[in-house]
Amino acid sequence: MNHLYESKTQQPPKIGLIILQALILLLFCVFALRFWYLQIHKGSYFAEQARNNQLRQDQLYAPRGLIRDRNGYLLAVNEPAYALGIVREDCKDFDSTFKKVSEWTGVDIGKIKSVFKKKKKRIKPFEPLILVPNLSFEQVALIEANSLHWPGLEIVVRPRRKYKYGKLLAHVLGYVAEVDEEELEKDHDLSVGDFVGKQGLETVLEKRFRGIKGKRQSEVDATGRKLEQRILKNPVAGEDIDLSIDLGLQELGGKLFKGKAGAVVVMDADNGQILAFVSSPSYDSNSFVTGLSTKEWKTLRDDPMHPLQNRVIQSVYPPGSVFKLAIAGCGLHNNMLDPKETLFCPGFLKLGNYVFRDWKKWGHGDVDLKKALTESCDVYFYKVGMRLGVDRMSEFAKACGFGQRTGISLPHEKAGLIPTREWKRKRFHDIWHPGENLNMAIGQGYVLVSPLQVTRFIASIINGGKLLRPQLLKGEPAEVQSKIPLSKDQLAIIKDAMIHTVEGAHGTARRLRRPDVILGGKTGTAQVVKLTDEIKKMKDSEIPYKYRDHAWMASFGERGDKKYVVVCLVEHGQHGGSGAGPIVKAMYNYLFPPIKGENAEENKTKS
Amino acid sequence: MSPIDRRLLIHMNWVLLGLAALLFLVGVMNLYSASGYRLEEGVSVSSFYQKQLIWGLMGFAGMITFMLFDYRHLKTIAWPLFWVTVCLLIAVPFAGKTIYGARRWLDLGFFNFQPSELAKITILIIGAKILSRDSDPLNFTKLAYVVGVGLVPAGLVILQPDLGSGLNILLILGGMVLYRGLTGKVFKSLAVAFPCIIPAGWFFLHDYQKRRIISFMNPASDPLGSGYHIIQSEIAIGSGRFWGKGFMGGTQSQLRFLPEKHTDFAIAVFGEEWGFVGAITLLSLFCIFLYQIVVTARDAKDLFGSFLAAGVFFYFFWQILINMGMVLGLMPVVGIPLPFVSYGGSATVVNFCLIGLVLNVSMRRYVFKQG
Repeated sequence: MNHLYESKTQQPPKIGLIILQALILLLFCVFALRFWYLQIHKGSYFAEQARNNQLRQDQLYAPRGLIRDRNGYLLAVNEPAYALGIVREDCKDFDSTFKKVSEWTGVDIGKIKSVFKKKKKRIKPFEPLILVPNLSFEQVALIEANSLHWPGLEIVVRPRRKYKYGKLLAHVLGYVAEVDEEELEKDHDLSVGDFVGKQGLETVLEKRFRGIKGKRQSEVDATGRKLEQRILKNPVAGEDIDLSIDLGLQELGGKLFKGKAGAVVVMDADNGQILAFVSSPSYDSNSFVTGLSTKEWKTLRDDPMHPLQNRVIQSVYPPGSVFKLAIAGCGLHNNMLDPKETLFCPGFLKLGNYVFRDWKKWGHGDVDLKKALTESCDVYFYKVGMRLGVDRMSEFAKACGFGQRTGISLPHEKAGLIPTREWKRKRFHDIWHPGENLNMAIGQGYVLVSPLQVTRFIASIINGGKLLRPQLLKGEPAEVQSKIPLSKDQLAIIKDAMIHTVEGAHGTARRLRRPDVILGGKTGTAQVVKLTDEIKKMKDSEIPYKYRDHAWMASFGERGDKKYVVVCLVEHGQHGGSGAGPIVKAMYNYLFPPIKGENAEENKTKS
Repeated sequence: MSPIDRRLLIHMNWVLLGLAALLFLVGVMNLYSASGYRLEEGVSVSSFYQKQLIWGLMGFAGMITFMLFDYRHLKTIAWPLFWVTVCLLIAVPFAGKTIYGARRWLDLGFFNFQPSELAKITILIIGAKILSRDSDPLNFTKLAYVVGVGLVPAGLVILQPDLGSGLNILLILGGMVLYRGLTGKVFKSLAVAFPCIIPAGWFFLHDYQKRRIISFMNPASDPLGSGYHIIQSEIAIGSGRFWGKGFMGGTQSQLRFLPEKHTDFAIAVFGEEWGFVGAITLLSLFCIFLYQIVVTARDAKDLFGSFLAAGVFFYFFWQILINMGMVLGLMPVVGIPLPFVSYGGSATVVNFCLIGLVLNVSMRRYVFKQG
């Protein structure tokens, strides 16, 4: 025995040991008493509570912000929708319940099961898991009447997006649909079954539209019946948003495009506000909210007219003669074009072994800049294009906003294409040939632009050169992105030529002419394919649809302090004036309601 | 002498080891019931109890490790260990990893290490070293020294911010001081000072901590948050009544709770399924378990060993007190697990290691001093 460790100083503290034991006793007594109080004294009370009253929390859906047009007409609202949910905890027999649900709703039982399997990981057992998202009133009535026999099934009322003009604004508004796994992972405010924006403004402004969910506490009895409910947190509705779109104008545009493919855009030239944004054909936004069947989706996707394509920003076309406005600007900017200088047009231009033809077989004769634009003389611009060369032309076209996104707040915008030597080398491993300058000068060849880019460019001609970001929301301040490099005088020359295109006796946009509005325009015909001689010989109406040229009409209208740009593209519409002209004309009739009587002329001179 | 002497095994406190193992198995079983519910739906949480078993095995290995060496070596490394701990705690705000919005972990590559856990063990060793120098009750000077040593790691932990662990460190040390005893004068002064200090502490609390205390006073004030827990936990335990609803038969606690039912609210599941009989049995097991540690403290060969055991005693005592107090609605909700019963990896390992330390003290109570 080693006595070192038994010395008095090494004795454990006696009082300390007593304290430790006293603490154990205290611990036992306090908790034993508490258990007795909860489990014996109040046991039957709590057992009753457990049997009858279970507290559950569920979410209250926040209504999505409303969407209105510039005049306050509602475009997107919320309506109550009925969904069939299943509360796992209350359900006794899943298989027979699924069978019943399938019987009531006509939804395939396999689908119900797979929905259930997929969602249950993310939904608490006492929360309704949505099995069938959209029920008809008949189905609701049928289920309500039988619900007592099927514990766990519950009709869930949720706000659902309703687009009052489903097809008309699909390409602007987009649509909402149920969240997918990826979105759930990224955004923790979302839960299974929520609707989120998937396309258009609905997705771009998702955060503003969404609102904040509320919370509700329910007391539930053993069969899942709700006894008493208490709102713990009220939901906060999402923000309402007013668009710059004018519903009347948009409707008119939609109507004019019935049966046609193409786009028409109306923009306020001073601030970039978009008044009409028509892409035709369109699809119904509502069909995505209620859910498309695979078959419906396939039909939409494979439709040869491509209704899902947003032709205003996602389709790019050769600009045809509309591009001549930019080439004219380029010539002026580089001091390589004198507006008074005339060039002779015999109806063709020979370059090496190639013959470049004018659209007018017998030629325009002596042509100055104004006449060249007014009558859309090709040979004049061939010559200008040769003078300028690709480098100057592409640099200037880019300065006009071509070949780059406009920055409109919609997803998946395309940039289009302005070719350069470098681009061609990379793309085709080939040098830039002189002949390609000619093609480029008349907006053919590789040049590709979107209708919205053209709209923005035309607006810049009449607003002093400002390239504006197109705005879709009302009251959004004008945003000048850059200025096109033309002086006031140079802009005036082009503008004047555009007016002459409408007013002049040989102008290609004569049909727009109106006594009470200053109108300027430029037509364009964009070749779809290099036409064979055989097709060239055909009459317009005999050419197969897919070989017909696209028709462009870029225009502006001024009256008083109102300045609008209307740009229209009709796919396979053949000629700018006849194909797109009537649509543009009708749009102006809406924008500038005709003034009756002799005031008309007077009004025009004043402005 | 080989590290494992037959006498060592004879003197070891087998009852304590048995109780720890028993409590752990009760915990696994309880976890199985809590998470294995509705396995037919493929709820993935069922793997919790399997993970817990693996942690238990790792804890067992840790326990053996803590038994092998002579605990008196700890006396020599007490100060170096203290400073290493302090350095690690200082490193946390700079090199730490943020989990659940708090920066408390150091990423060691293979696992996330929480220096505040180490600090709890360190404080118990350094406390035992300082307090075992002599056995007179503490006077003001000595007390100030002890408190000063404790405040360094505790303060660093509170700054992380981890108020719970910081207070835990102070409570362990405070318990050990209580075991050592205070002079009458010190005791009286503290008795007067404490009621003044505690309200002042209110101002140092975070908003969410204040909210918990308020909701404890009045559960209805926060029915969504901690109030909801308290209400649900009382219903679950209360509805178990005398005999309980049987293994896996709980209806209240099953999944209706938030995730804490696996961890902090484990005893609510247990109380519902095993009733008053089960609850009192479990409570008794804990009390005997604590008593066995006291026995080790009493029979220890030296004061250092005795204080080590006392430190471990308080390590477990506070956790049991706070966790049960919380689940039974006697205390505000704070995230403290119930030793061995609650799910938790590092907690399980640390618990077993500390048991190993107590066993170490108990088995060496008659060993001859060599050389």
